[in-house]
Amino acid sequence: MAEVVVVVSAQSAVTTLSKNQVVDIFLGKTSRFPDGSMAVPIDQGEGIAAREEFYSGFASKSAAQLKAYWSKIIFTGRGQPPREASSATELKKLILANPNTIGYIDRGLVDESERIVLLQ
Amino acid sequence: MGRRSRSSDISRTCFLVASTAIAFLCAGAHAQDAATPTFSLSGFGTVGEVYSSEDHADFTASSLKAKGAGYSNDWSGDVDSLLAVQLTANLTTKLSATLQIVSDENYANSYRPHVEWATIKYQVTPELSFRVGRTVLPFFMVSDSRAVGYANPWVRPPLEVYNLVPITTTDGLDASYRLTIGAATNTFQITAGQSDKSFPTPSGGLPETVNIRKLRAFSDTFEDGFLTAHVSYGDARLTIEQLEPLFDAFRLFGPQGVAIDDKYAIDDKVASFVGVGASYDPGRWFLLGEWGHVDTRSILGASTGWYGTAGYRFGKFTPYATYGSVEADSARSDPGLALSGLPPTLIGTAIGLNAALNSTLSAIAVQRTMSLGTRWDFAKHAALKVQLDHVDLGAGSHGVLVNVQPSFRPGGNFDVFSVSVNFVF
Repeated sequence: MAEVVVVVSAQSAVTTLSKNQVVDIFLGKTSRFPDGSMAVPIDQGEGIAAREEFYSGFASKSAAQLKAYWSKIIFTGRGQPPREASSATELKKLILANPNTIGYIDRGLVDESERIVLLQ
Repeated sequence: MGRRSRSSDISRTCFLVASTAIAFLCAGAHAQDAATPTFSLSGFGTVGEVYSSEDHADFTASSLKAKGAGYSNDWSGDVDSLLAVQLTANLTTKLSATLQIVSDENYANSYRPHVEWATIKYQVTPELSFRVGRTVLPFFMVSDSRAVGYANPWVRPPLEVYNLVPITTTDGLDASYRLTIGAATNTFQITAGQSDKSFPTPSGGLPETVNIRKLRAFSDTFEDGFLTAHVSYGDARLTIEQLEPLFDAFRLFGPQGVAIDDKYAIDDKVASFVGVGASYDPGRWFLLGEWGHVDTRSILGASTGWYGTAGYRFGKFTPYATYGSVEADSARSDPGLALSGLPPTLIGTAIGLNAALNSTLSAIAVQRTMSLGTRWDFAKHAALKVQLDHVDLGAGSHGVLVNVQPSFRPGGNFDVFSVSVNFVF
């Protein structure tokens, strides 16, 4: 089974984050990294294995729970879910384009344009 | 005066819709962040059928609805069914507009779509935002998503708490500040506004209107991992003009009538609400509970309600159980005008006034509900729920039932069975 890792741009100053900090960024509870810089989360599309693994492993949320969570947020105008990348390739392109992005990806697909975030 | 407040309600709605529509029109010209969608259309809905074993009154989900299940029809789709459409426009990275239009069975027994909210939001910083327009009242834990069945575990939010304040929105402004403390988030919100809401008369006559003025509400939500805690306070001045004739008549009876008017009339009276709630959701199971107290300082009385819900997730199924209770903190009857010493010609009138006073006081809900239900996430954007409620009415009370018939015997118990499909798109 492929391992899912959290990645940021190789140009980002972020090296380590706690699991909670990562989850808070993806759930829209914060839009900044601990150092104060902007955090732009990018999801992978629904149904992609990496996405299910990320949310169940990091946030203890199934796809249905995540959908219910975002329903609450969307339908009260409090925010919108992260931008979605339709594939790992598109995710890498988005990370390359913006040093503030944060995403999750199979470990085997990581190359020199991304840095794996160490989890505290 | 009633007509003036209705036309001002219409013109306020027109203003809100017009200004939000203008905001949407500007979106095309002013979208500055090409990466963010300028427009998005989404929506949610529920198709639900409810059966109630109580044949002499209607069970329904809100005191603002005209009909329900039981007396009007054994099975009713009016209780929970609704459709909502939401338009969101991101005008700039900081400015957005939201319009939500909802169609459900209302006080006039019609499904005419209405503007549930229309807001323009300015995100000053990622932590601080302001909204102006018709916004949601933040009294309860799921106030924001009360109607979004898909977002909630139960078929409907427990009535013992959520009926304490059946009003869901206000026209005005709000400010929200989110503070991050380590792994925890704390969001504080202030709301100020006013509103005019229509509701059906218990006797089935023309709908009445409650004018809500000088409303202010504070709410605070604390989230840390699996725990969420919520506390809120609000107050406002309420007036129900359609009750004026009753209290005018009481005042004609001298000091004792004036005392009744002072105590019970809803003429610019301060109503207040305080509530707390908490939920713990580690994923496989969850607990959720709320407590609220409302005091209207009038004929609508003071009540305290609470509920607790526990649920467990087995794959796509989430069975849950809820227990809720609402009690009256104020008198549900009053001796009214003393008949001795009245001129014989006025005794009939006095008896009539006392009866009207007491029938309204006895409408203050006292009941307990035990619910068992299951949610099945059978499709990507939809969930099916079935729920069985056993409702025990307090002595002499008809609880949250509406359309109470003369044949109704208060204080008994009845069962409600509900089937709902919630969807989002």
